[in-house]
Amino acid sequence: MLCFIALGVFAFLSLFSAKYRPLAARAFSCVARKMTLRPCDTGLDEEIKAASIAGIMKFSPQAASFVNRRFAAFSFAFTLLFFASFLLAAQGIANFAIYGNCNGPEGGFCIYSGIQNPAFLKAPSTLQGISAGNESARLTVFEFGCYTCPYTRDAEDTVKFMLEKYGDKVHFVFKPFPLPTHPNSKWAAVAAACAWEAGKYWEYREAIFSNQSYYREGGDAAFKATAARLNITGFDGCFDAKKFLAQIETSISEGKECGIYGTPTFFVDGKAFVGKDAAAEAKAEVERLLGVA
Amino acid sequence: MDADRLREDFPILKAGKAIYFDSACTTLKPRQVLEAERAYYEQASGCAGRSAHALAKKTSEMFESSREKAAAFVNAAPEELVWVKNTTEALNLVIRSFDYSQRKKILTTRLEHHSLLLPIMEQQRRGIVKMELLKTNPDGSFDEQSIAATIDRSTALVAIHHTTNTTGMRAPLEKIIKIAHDNGAAVLIDGAQGVPHSGVDFRRLGADFLAFSGHKMLGPTGIGCLVGKSESLEKLDSFIVGGETVESVHIGKVQFMKAPKRFEGGIQNYAGAIGLAAACDYLSKIGMKNVEEHEKKLAKRMIEAVQSVPGAAIYGSPSSEKRSALVSFNLKGVKHHQVALMCDSLSKIALRSGVFCAQPAMESLGAPEGAVRASLYVYNTEKEISLFKETLEKIAKLGN
Ligand SMILES: Cc1ncc(COP(=O)(O)O)c(C=O)c1O
Repeated sequence: MLCFIALGVFAFLSLFSAKYRPLAARAFSCVARKMTLRPCDTGLDEEIKAASIAGIMKFSPQAASFVNRRFAAFSFAFTLLFFASFLLAAQGIANFAIYGNCNGPEGGFCIYSGIQNPAFLKAPSTLQGISAGNESARLTVFEFGCYTCPYTRDAEDTVKFMLEKYGDKVHFVFKPFPLPTHPNSKWAAVAAACAWEAGKYWEYREAIFSNQSYYREGGDAAFKATAARLNITGFDGCFDAKKFLAQIETSISEGKECGIYGTPTFFVDGKAFVGKDAAAEAKAEVERLLGVA
Repeated sequence: MDADRLREDFPILKAGKAIYFDSACTTLKPRQVLEAERAYYEQASGCAGRSAHALAKKTSEMFESSREKAAAFVNAAPEELVWVKNTTEALNLVIRSFDYSQRKKILTTRLEHHSLLLPIMEQQRRGIVKMELLKTNPDGSFDEQSIAATIDRSTALVAIHHTTNTTGMRAPLEKIIKIAHDNGAAVLIDGAQGVPHSGVDFRRLGADFLAFSGHKMLGPTGIGCLVGKSESLEKLDSFIVGGETVESVHIGKVQFMKAPKRFEGGIQNYAGAIGLAAACDYLSKIGMKNVEEHEKKLAKRMIEAVQSVPGAAIYGSPSSEKRSALVSFNLKGVKHHQVALMCDSLSKIALRSGVFCAQPAMESLGAPEGAVRASLYVYNTEKEISLFKETLEKIAKLGN
C-alpha cells in the first residue's frame, strides 16, 4: 500500500535528484503490480515497513508492536490520507490560482498566503478611481475593492466611518478590483461607474453592498432596476454601451501590477492591508498617522 | 586469537560501520589484503608469462608465488590449482567439462547452493547427465546408511558441499569420498563455506576437486580456486580457451598446455590472486585451528542467543559442535526480511535474509519462504552477539 505514497514522494524527489529515480522506479513497479493484483516484488514495501517500525521502536516498543500488527490497516489509512491531502493540495493550488485564496471564494486561512505577503504589495501610482474626501489632503487612502465580494462589503462601514470622521484630512480613492470568481462583480463595477457619471455613485454603492446576492444572481436586470429605483437617468444607455468597461479593465490591470491578491486591499500612505481585517487595520493606521488614536 | 586486535586490521570495522554478520555471503577484507592488491598495481602491473620485460617478470613472480601460497593453504601442489573467478566458475568448470562418456550419474544433495545445483541441472536438461540425490534429513544431517546404496558403479561424479551456507553444517566427506572412490566415481567438493572456516587438507581429504572463493576468506572478489588432482584435471575437457591456454595454434590444429594453464584463458586477475595469497597468509598467521576454535565458541553463543529469544526457531542441528559460526533462523510472526532490515536500522547489524541461493535446501530444512542468517567470522566477538540478542528480543516482541 505504502508504495503508492512512495511513488508520489520519490517521483517528486526524482525531479530534483537522480538518486531517487531507482527508488521511484521500484515504487512504480510495485504500484503497477498492485494495480494488476499481484504482490509487489521489489521489496520496497518491506523496506518501508521495517524502517518505519524500527523508527517507532526507538521511541516506543509498544507503539512499534501496535503498528506492526496493524501495519496493513495503517498503510491503507496513510495511503488514503495521502491521496486526500494530495487532492486537497491540488484543489488549494487551483483555488489559489483562480481566487487568490486556497479556500476558494469564501476565503479564510490559506497556507499559501505565506507567499502572499502585504509587504510585497506595491502602492498604486495613479489617482484614477472613485475619489472622495479631501483631494488636496497629504494622506491618501486607496481601496481596491470588489462590489459583490463579502469582505469588501464588510469593510464598508469602516470606510464610511473614515470618510465621515476624517474626510477632511484624507484623500480616499476607490479602485474597482472585481474578482472573477464572484458573479457579476465586473458588471457591478461598470454599473457603479454609470451611477457615478450620473452623480448617484454612493447611493448605488450602498444599494449593492446592502444586498450583494441579489446582484450576483440578478445581473443586468438587477443593475437596471436599481438605477430606475434611484432615478438615475441615462443609466441603461451607459450600461448597455459598456461605457466604463475599459476603465474597469484598466483598474484591474493596475491592481494586478500592484500585486493585489485579495479584496479589499487598502493602502494607507503606501502601506498595504489585505483581507477580512484590512479596513480596521487601515483605519488604525490612518488614526495613527493623524495622531488621533 | 584475539578478535579485538584483529578488528584493527579491518577498515570497515575500525570505522564502526556495522556489526558484520554476513560473512557467508562475503567477508570483510583486512588492510593487508588491500595493500597486497595495491602493490601489484603499483609495483608490477604487467602481464604474466607473455612479455619479457622486468615488470612482466615481476608479475609472473608475484602471480606464481600466490598460486603456491593458495595451494599450500589447502595442502595442494601449485600445479593443482587453477585460478577462476569464484566458486561458481570452478563448479561449472568441472561439471561441464567432466567426461560423462562412460558414466552419466551425478550425485548431489538438496542442501547445495544454486552454484552447484544449476550446472548439474543444466547438464541434465541437455541430456548429458542424470542427477540423483543423496538422502538428507530435515535437520540438515545426512542419512548415512543410504550413502553406500546410492553411490554405485554408474556414478560419474559426486558433487557435494564441504559446509553448507544454510546451516553451517558439514557433510560426512570422508565416508562419501571413500565410497565414491571404491566405486570409481570422482568427487567434487564445494568448499566455498568450508575452506574459509576450517583447515581443509586437500591431500588428506582425497577428493578429486575442491572449489572455493577468495572473497569468502578475507580475499578480494573476482578470484577463486579450483584445486584438482593433476590426473583428474587432465581428464577434464577444455572450458574457457584463449590466450595463454595453448602451446601452439595452427589453423585446424591446437596443442593445449597442461593444467592448470590450460584452464586459465586470457589475462588473469593478478591483483586478485595476489590479494588472495595475502588473505591465506593472514589466516595462516592466525592458524586455521584457532579460527575453527573461535568459530565454535561464537557458534555456541550464537545458538544460545537465538534460542533464548521467544518465538525463534533455528534451522539445522542445534549443536554448535557440528557447525561453523553460522545460524539461520526465523522469528514467529515477523518476516525474515523485516527482521534483517530492522536489525540494520536499529543496530547496524548486517544480516542476510531469504533463501540464500539455496532454495531447495531451505525447502528441505522447513523454511521454504526463507530465513534470517547470521554468519560470523574471525573478527566477530561475543559482545556483538549480545547486542544482536538484545536487538532480536525487541523485534521478537512485534510477533508476540
Ligand atoms: C556453499 C556455497 N557454494 C557456492 C557459493 C558460490 O560462491 P561464489 O558466489 O563466490 O561463486 C556460495 C556462495 O554463497 C556458497 O555459500
